[in-house]
Amino acid sequence: MPSPYDIFVLVKQVPDQSSKAGINPDGTIDRAKAKRMLNPFDRYALQAALHTKRTYGGRVTAISMGPPLAVEILMEALEHGVDRCVLLSDRRLAASDTLATAYALHKVVRWCGNFDMIFCGLQTTDGDTAQVGPQIAERLGLPQVTYCEDFAIEDGKAKARRIIEGGTQLISSELPLLITVANSYHQLEYKSFRGAWKVQWLQRHPEELSKLVSTVDLDTIGAEPERCGLKGSPTIVAHTDKVGEIGGNCKMYEGQSIPDMVTELIKSTNIKEFVQTK
Amino acid sequence: MTASEPEKQAGKTGETLPVHETPRGNVLVIAEQIMGELQPVSLELIGAASILAGKLGTKVLCLIMGYKLGDIPQRLVAHGADTVYVADHPELALYRTLPYRRVVTDLLESMPEPPHVALLGSTTTGRDLAPRIAAHFETGLTADCTELDIGPYEHKSKIDPTKLGLYPDCLYAIRPSFGESLKARILGPWKNPQMATTRPGVMVPLPADPARQGKIIEVPVNLKLEDFRLQVIDVVREVASGLKLTEAEVIIAGGYGMGNAEGFNLLRQLAGCFDHSAIAASRKVVDLGWIPYEHQVGQTGKTVRPKLYIACGISGAIQHRVGMSKSATIIAINKDPDAPVFKFAHHGIVGDVYQVIPELIKQFEKAKQGVESVVHSH
Repeated sequence: MPSPYDIFVLVKQVPDQSSKAGINPDGTIDRAKAKRMLNPFDRYALQAALHTKRTYGGRVTAISMGPPLAVEILMEALEHGVDRCVLLSDRRLAASDTLATAYALHKVVRWCGNFDMIFCGLQTTDGDTAQVGPQIAERLGLPQVTYCEDFAIEDGKAKARRIIEGGTQLISSELPLLITVANSYHQLEYKSFRGAWKVQWLQRHPEELSKLVSTVDLDTIGAEPERCGLKGSPTIVAHTDKVGEIGGNCKMYEGQSIPDMVTELIKSTNIKEFVQTK
Repeated sequence: MTASEPEKQAGKTGETLPVHETPRGNVLVIAEQIMGELQPVSLELIGAASILAGKLGTKVLCLIMGYKLGDIPQRLVAHGADTVYVADHPELALYRTLPYRRVVTDLLESMPEPPHVALLGSTTTGRDLAPRIAAHFETGLTADCTELDIGPYEHKSKIDPTKLGLYPDCLYAIRPSFGESLKARILGPWKNPQMATTRPGVMVPLPADPARQGKIIEVPVNLKLEDFRLQVIDVVREVASGLKLTEAEVIIAGGYGMGNAEGFNLLRQLAGCFDHSAIAASRKVVDLGWIPYEHQVGQTGKTVRPKLYIACGISGAIQHRVGMSKSATIIAINKDPDAPVFKFAHHGIVGDVYQVIPELIKQFEKAKQGVESVVHSH
C-alpha cells in the first residue's frame, strides 16, 4: 500500500468577468459588486489534487487567501471532495502584490503542516501573472513543475509532463513539490451528490463545519504584518492610463439584411485578395 | 540595499520629498535558448534593454545559460549586448528551474551592485524562472509588460515612511490591467533589480551588427545536490500542425460569442476560404477549454500582426487587443453594437456570427465560381 499523501491545493476567488455586474461605465471593476467565482485555472489544480488523492490515497487541504466571502469557493471545493479548508483572511493583506501574497501563503502552508504536493492554478484571471506559485516554491525551497498538464506518482516520485515552447518536457521529481496546473489538464469533474449533500448538512451544523473549515489571520500563522499588504509589496500601481482608441473610426455595417452587409463589407475591404481562388 | 537609502535631502521644508539619487545600474537580460536555438524573445529584450540603458546611461548585460552554446554569445553582442555572461555546462543543457535559478542568483550575488533592471521573456521558461529570482531577492516583478520605460516617480503615500521620496530613474513596467480598458504603470524603485517580463513579439530587436564589440565572460557553475531533485526525462518537440499563428496572413479569431467549442468548426470553415490562414481565440474560450492554449492571442497569449484579422464573437477586452492591434485590417463581427471591439476594428458588422459567417462563406464561394465561369468562357 502506498502511504497516504498530504495534498494541498491553493485556490482564489476572482471577479466573474463574463457578468456585467460590477463593471463601471468607465470599464473599471467594482469588486464589491462584481459576481464572484473560483478562479477558472484553479479548477484544473483542484482536479489534479482530487485525482491524486483518489488514485494514490491521501487527504486534500484547500487553502485560500481573501476576504471572508472567499469561504464560498472553499465550500465549493468541499462539495468537490476536498477534506479540509483553510482561509487566510486579514485586512492587513490588502493591496498585496505577488511577492507579499506568496509570503503570506507560504506561511499558511507552513501552518497547515507537512505536505507532499502543493497544486496551484497556472495563474489567476484577475492578476494574470503566474508568479505566486513559483514564488511560494522559492520561499519553501521546493522544486516546481509549472505548466503541468499530466501528473502521476511512480515509486514515490512525481512524474509530470509540462508545456515548454514548441513542445513538452517529461520530468521526474522528488517530493515535496509544487505544481502549477495548465488548462490543458483534465477538466474538473462534476460535484458528487454526496459532496453537495455533505456541504448542505455541514451548513446546518456549524460546529461540524468549523472542524473542517478554519479561518486564520496573520497572527495565527505567525506572519510578519510588515511583509504583507502594501508595506510588504515591492511594487505599486503608480498610474493608470486610459487606453487610447486606436483605429477609432470603425466603419459600421448594421441595420441591413445580413447578405447586404456582407456584400458591402467585401466591396469596401481588400478581403478578396486573400480568398483562395482555386 | 542601495535603492532605499536616501543619499540627499531635497530640502529642509516638510513638504519636500527626499530624493533617492542612487547610482544608475546596468540593464540585465536573461536570454533563453532551447536545445541550442536562441529564442527570438531574447533579442527583442536586448532591443528594449538598449533603450532603457540608453536612458540610464549604462550598459546592457546579458546572461545565457546552456551547453555547447557555440556562437550564441557573439550573436547577443551583435544585437546590442555590451557584456555577455556565459554559463556553459552539461547540466544546463535542458532548462530546469533549480540549476538555472542557482546560476542566476550566484551571478547577481557576485556583482558589487545589483543591476538596475532585469528582464526575461514571458515564455514558459521565463515565467518559471523570473518569479523565483524575484522572490529570492525580495524584489518586484511585473509580468507580461507591453511597454517599458525609465522615468521619475514621487512616492507620497505615508503608509510606509521608508518608501517616501522622489525616485528619478524607475523602471516603468506597463501592462493592461485586469478586465479594464486601462494600462497600469507598475513601479518598484525601492529595490534593484527592478524586474519585468514581456511576451515574445512585443519588443523590437536591433538589427545585427557583426562588427559590434562586447565582453564575453564565462561564469562559474556551482550546482548543489538539492538542485538535482527534479530531472528531465525526455523532451518532445511538437511538429507544428498547420500554419503557425504568428506566420499567418489571415487570422480568424473566435471568442465567447461563438457559444461553444463546436462553434470553432464554423471558423475553421471560414479559414478554409483563405490561403495562409490560421485560427485564433480569446483567453476566455481557451480558459473554457474550447480550444488549446497555442491558439490564444493577447497579453497572455501570442502577439500577431496578420494582414487580415477577423474577430468573431470577441468583445475586445484590452488583453486581447494588445495581442492583435497591429493587424493591417481588423474586421469584427459581433451582435452587441456596444462591444469594445468596434472601437478599434476597421470594419464592424453588427450581427449574429451564425448568420454572418455562413453568408461570408457563401459569397466567397459564389465569387470563386464567378472566377471559374470567366475562365471557362475563354
